[in-house]
Amino acid sequence: MLVFDHVSKRYDNGHEALSDVSLQIDTGELVFLTGPSGAGKSTLLKLINGMERPSRGQVVVGGQNITHLSPRKLPSLRQNIGVVFQNHQLLFDRTVADNVGLPLHIAGMPPKEIARRIRAALSKVGLEGRETEMPEMLSGGEQQRVGIARAVVHRPPFLLADEPTGNLDPALSKEVMALFSQFSQLGVTVLIATHDVDLVAAMGARTLGLEAGRVVHFDE
Amino acid sequence: MNKRSEGGAELSVVRRSERARAWGRHHRRLVSQTLIALVSAPGTLAMTWLVIGIALSMPILLGLGLRAVAQTDSARALEPSISVYLSVASDSPEAVSLLDTLRRSPKVSTARLITEQQALATFAAQSGFGEILNALSENPLPAMIEVLPATKDGASVQLLVQWISGLAGVDEVVFDAAWMARLQALVILLDRVIFASALLFSVGVILIIGNTLRLTIASQRSEIEIIKLFGASDRFVQRPFIYRGFWLGLGGAVMAWLIVQVSLIFLAGPVEQMAQAYRSSFALSVLTFSESLRLLLVGGGLGIAASWVSVWRHLKQIQPK
Repeated sequence: MLVFDHVSKRYDNGHEALSDVSLQIDTGELVFLTGPSGAGKSTLLKLINGMERPSRGQVVVGGQNITHLSPRKLPSLRQNIGVVFQNHQLLFDRTVADNVGLPLHIAGMPPKEIARRIRAALSKVGLEGRETEMPEMLSGGEQQRVGIARAVVHRPPFLLADEPTGNLDPALSKEVMALFSQFSQLGVTVLIATHDVDLVAAMGARTLGLEAGRVVHFDE
Repeated sequence: MNKRSEGGAELSVVRRSERARAWGRHHRRLVSQTLIALVSAPGTLAMTWLVIGIALSMPILLGLGLRAVAQTDSARALEPSISVYLSVASDSPEAVSLLDTLRRSPKVSTARLITEQQALATFAAQSGFGEILNALSENPLPAMIEVLPATKDGASVQLLVQWISGLAGVDEVVFDAAWMARLQALVILLDRVIFASALLFSVGVILIIGNTLRLTIASQRSEIEIIKLFGASDRFVQRPFIYRGFWLGLGGAVMAWLIVQVSLIFLAGPVEQMAQAYRSSFALSVLTFSESLRLLLVGGGLGIAASWVSVWRHLKQIQPK
């Protein structure tokens, strides 16, 4: 469960990215964040995994109030949140397996378990047997899927995605969205920021509309 | 997919024992991983090791030089001995018992009797007045005992001189205290110089390693951000840099060891020639096993210190954006 209670975020330069945002997202829900760029979608995601702190209000993630979370506890929060970026953010000097296995290494899993989970995650995104390849040899869509595999390999209860289909063609976008939908059915709370309105409409999921830092609609 | 998430998206908690095992695994993995990463840029690594090696070898070479001076008889040659002139003949019972007393004293290192004849012979040979001395019917020179004090401490040598002056059969005791004090001051000064230079070079080594590590961090900045984004703690991120620092320091110490040993071999010939010219047993000794071991420990320790001093704050500041 994810709760925002009258959350505002004002950056040091005075720009108010979010104003008085309140919302509640239940476990296993898939929610799209929509709105023009600069509406505060990224800021909202960053408040969930502690990359930013709210200026006002409370943020509760999985029953834990993270509004004033100490920096020491930030890592364990983040280990429970998978993130997917528009620009992949892969490590290009590491193999696909090393990239996907990163959250597992951080969690300190035994190597055998790591290899097994990497295999499972790669097969989930349709990249089975590609462990030893380097990211730069992969297509944009494949790189994005490696990023998704990395975000879910440690089976986090939360998954955040910022424009995950920004670089993909419509067919691939649909595939990726189908993956996210699968995860939510398995109990993962998924939040996807996107301005691909056609895709959102096709998914028929709950949508949170943001404009200039305010919630303009939050409906089924 | 996650049994914890079924119960309401509770945040997962890793057990303590699991965490300890993970910690151990990470360390074991990093030992080889960081070395492999360093060796993959052999030119840079060799250069860094060499710079550290030179910095570490300087105070060691200075120290070895001082130890050689302090330990060999060249120091004794510099240290003027106490000259005890006798009021009695060298073959008299008083002279024999005096010599015995001096030799038994714990404050005396050696006591050597120089008879009247020996003194005359030496004087004749050194002064060139042999002809004139031959003309004298009697030997005007007294017998003498040359005493080397057991300690180098100025005050106790003074006490020794006073004690000898009061002994039976002693005419006069000559001792150049100023000389002794000067030499001691010089040794203490050199000692300090070596200590200070060791300290400065150690700081230099920490700065070199810290700088190298900072460059590595700069080149891995985006990687560090991603790792932190997936929940890596500051300690986790720092760990590879501790090992990198350790390897840099250890390799530098090995380099310093090589530089020192090669320098000693290189210097051995000329030093021996010089020592022979001075009729001294002065010799530069190589580093012993335990000294070598200590050098390696210091090197590795400086590397680890560097990764703490100059890396920790730096790493904490890197946050995903």
